[in-house]
Amino acid sequence: MLDDLRYRARALLHHNEVESELDEELRFHFDREVQKHIARGMSHEQARRAARMEFGGQEQIKEDCREARGTSFIELTLDDAKYAIRQLIGNPTFSVVMILTLALSIGANSAIFSVINGVLLKRLPYPEPERLVRIFLSNNEYPKFPLNPWDFLDFRARNHSFDAIAAFTRGDVQLSGEGEPVKLNGFGITSGYFRVLGLRPQLGREFDFNAEIPGNGLQVVISDRLWRTRFGAEPNIIGRKITMNMQPFVIIGVMPAGTEHPGNEYHSVAYGESVDVWWPFSFAGNSNFRGSHYIEGIGRLKSDVSTERALAEMNAIMSQLGREHPDGDSGWRVLVIPLYSEVVGASRQMLLVLLGAVGIVLLIACANAANLLMARASARQREISVRLAMGAPRLRVVRQLLTESLVLSCLGGTVGLLIAFAGVRALVALLPADFPRANDIHVSWPVLLFTLAVSLATGILFGLVPAFQASRTDPKDGLQKATRGTTAGKHQNRLRNALVMAEVGLASVLLIGAGLMLRTFLNLLHLDPGFKQDHLLTASLSLPHAQYQKSGQVAAFYERLTASLSTLPGVESVGAGSDLPWTGYDENSGLNIEGRKPSPGEGFHARYHMATPGYFKAMGIPLLQGRFFTPADKDGSFQAVIINHAMAQKYWPGQDAVGKRLSFEDNPKKDSDWLRVVGVVGDVKDQPNSPSAEPAFWWPENQQAQPDMSLAIRTSSDPRQAIDALRQAVREQDPSLAVADIKLMNEVADSSISTPRFTFALVGLFAGLAIILAAIGAYGVISYTVGQRASEFGLRVALGAKRGDLLRMVLAQSAKLAIPGTIIGVILAMSLGHVVRGLVYQVSPTDPAIMSAVVLLVLFVALLASYVPARRAAATDPMTTLRTD
Amino acid sequence: MTGRIELPQGTVDLLILRTLLTGPQHGWAISERVQQVSSEVLSIQQGSLYPALHRLERRGWIKAKWGTSDNNRRAKYYELTRAGHKQLEAETEAWRKLSIAVEQVLEGA
Repeated sequence: MLDDLRYRARALLHHNEVESELDEELRFHFDREVQKHIARGMSHEQARRAARMEFGGQEQIKEDCREARGTSFIELTLDDAKYAIRQLIGNPTFSVVMILTLALSIGANSAIFSVINGVLLKRLPYPEPERLVRIFLSNNEYPKFPLNPWDFLDFRARNHSFDAIAAFTRGDVQLSGEGEPVKLNGFGITSGYFRVLGLRPQLGREFDFNAEIPGNGLQVVISDRLWRTRFGAEPNIIGRKITMNMQPFVIIGVMPAGTEHPGNEYHSVAYGESVDVWWPFSFAGNSNFRGSHYIEGIGRLKSDVSTERALAEMNAIMSQLGREHPDGDSGWRVLVIPLYSEVVGASRQMLLVLLGAVGIVLLIACANAANLLMARASARQREISVRLAMGAPRLRVVRQLLTESLVLSCLGGTVGLLIAFAGVRALVALLPADFPRANDIHVSWPVLLFTLAVSLATGILFGLVPAFQASRTDPKDGLQKATRGTTAGKHQNRLRNALVMAEVGLASVLLIGAGLMLRTFLNLLHLDPGFKQDHLLTASLSLPHAQYQKSGQVAAFYERLTASLSTLPGVESVGAGSDLPWTGYDENSGLNIEGRKPSPGEGFHARYHMATPGYFKAMGIPLLQGRFFTPADKDGSFQAVIINHAMAQKYWPGQDAVGKRLSFEDNPKKDSDWLRVVGVVGDVKDQPNSPSAEPAFWWPENQQAQPDMSLAIRTSSDPRQAIDALRQAVREQDPSLAVADIKLMNEVADSSISTPRFTFALVGLFAGLAIILAAIGAYGVISYTVGQRASEFGLRVALGAKRGDLLRMVLAQSAKLAIPGTIIGVILAMSLGHVVRGLVYQVSPTDPAIMSAVVLLVLFVALLASYVPARRAAATDPMTTLRTD
Repeated sequence: MTGRIELPQGTVDLLILRTLLTGPQHGWAISERVQQVSSEVLSIQQGSLYPALHRLERRGWIKAKWGTSDNNRRAKYYELTRAGHKQLEAETEAWRKLSIAVEQVLEGA
């Protein structure tokens, strides 16, 4: 056994020595054989021939000896690889083109796979994440709605499907007393929230049921990041009092690093380590009033309960509740959605489309590589014939050629990996800000394995057919014809043409996809947003309840602040509103309209906002009828309301809405129960790609004070210059306030279209890559056939054909490949249209303009790619080409 | 070539080992010797001789040394190792049993 290993090791390590010894040994044998025959009276020539006959294929003997040595597999592979590398070095242009195209396409695949792996494949960072579900309500008007706290309590008490359920709701806090005041992302959570997620505090504990009792709520659990950055990772932090919203909270727990927010819908905060404080959610009131929905449910299913069973049980509970509280709880259904779908659901389709696109690029690269290899294999026909004639078995030749393509694809994969490293960094930087799990995206082990697998599969895919084709060479033909170029069989030509057609078709699909994404992006970019996003600075403020308990104080604060801001140089108008456009705001209210009865089962409702008098002007939202708010719309005068165009259309169609009245009382009687519409403003959609604007109305901040407001400051020049003055102005009003989310409205608008931009950028990049590859493929085939037909062209010229005729002939050949290719592409793209339907905006996936533009572009590129070989054909000199025959 | 028998692999190993019992030999001499001793009936083709030599060497039954042949050329000589001797005994034994058994079947049938 040991001898055996030592022997094999020597055979491997001293491979050259062993091989030359074998040569010498066989030569010795041969010479002795010749001598023997001469001794028996043969002539020298006869003796040599006889010996050679006996010997048979020398290559075969050597091969068998290598096999007998037990190292043949490795030796052969090393040999083949060395040979392949020599071949590649001998053909630098071919090699560089091959390796670069493979590297680009494999690298792009690895980069996209890194994203897929991090976002879709990696498990969520909670124990047994598949048991986690999100719980929402749904009715005919609101497809996905938060819970109301009383319903949540009943769900928690009555269900048998969950190990635990918890609720949470966004509630940012202002931390002061330790340096500059800051606004922190915060959530109110019920007890058991972290237990549901399967997470434990690294210090202290989470809230118990007592914390849910109103009055016990001054406790807080903080994030690892806050603990480190703000409190210097103090180990004895538990029990420390900190000032949040001007109230003393006791720190009872510190969560570990990696505590990821599971994402939320209502006033959403992105998935990830995006939350810094959790405070106990508590509420009080009348358990019969169940109209207020603002908390979100999350639950951990019992290990033997399916999502469907939990859903059925929750809906049964909901119908019970509907019977018990017909006012607030009837008409609702429960949604139980696996957390995974909730987190990645929206990005999934886009990522799969990108994976498809980049997979198509790889297919094109394979077709391209196969094509180039086939062209080269026919140029190497002579070499292959010699090897076959020397007794190398056909499989051996296949193996050699396959090794060459694997060497190519692995080199491509290695360079591709470098591209992937750079590409992933660029991708993450390009990702939309709210993209889930972006921090999980990097080139990791699964990505390396994926790259290896893709490289090997690619090498085999593009190498197998050309290798078998080449090995079918008849040594006789190869040696005879090899002097003058080569003639590949008709079969091979057909195959190569088919490959180019496929390349062109697939590239057309990607180009059509890129066209759709570009159209979508441009549509969104040139959309009239309903407001003016330039020269607009925005920021948010929240006034702590402890200091601003009376609504008059809140209103007075914003009145003073906006007044002082509007005196700043360069500031044109200032306002404050409960929200900014396109930031996911979604607060709704039912209402009554004077003189109208809602149809049964469907109440009147609209989205509500608050605004100061200057808000609309600063935002650039136009007034269509009536007037804006004025400082006179305050306590003591009648209640004013401004509505948007969509609301006027919905509730007062064909009428002048100004002067009409609405109410939030169930049975309005007194005059003071009514609000009067004083103005109608233009529509702003929820998101730039929302199908239409929702009906909405605004209360004057002076009559319905809202402590958390967004500021809008319109300036005449660069709004960034107003940032310092804004901070200064807020500090003058109240030094304990944090100015948060200082942004240009341009940035807000920009980030709302970042997903379509990202999709367009990538699909466009891949389409560009695809068309370049297809052009290389077309160029390769055309220039190859031009070479093949050189003598035919020479003959034609000799018989009087004009140069222009030859040029046209070659271009026509290229068109014959490109036209069926684009037709295939258009048909494919049309049948794949539904895949991108959710990703496009105001453009049909079968948009004829895009289709025809792509067809023209592809034909143009195909003709361009064949122009150079066509010129060469046209320049054919009949004398030289005919003489070579 | 008439009258010659193509040998199955196992027998080639046995014949090589037996031929080397008389002392180190190079490949050509082994094949010549087998042919002579068997009165030109058995012949080991180069195609099976050299792979067999390499295989036997790998198994440690023979070892190779470079020496000078009778016509003064460098040649690769193979000789039996101790393991080779044992293997030869075992294979000879097995062969005897096999041929006696086959003989009996042929006779007695």
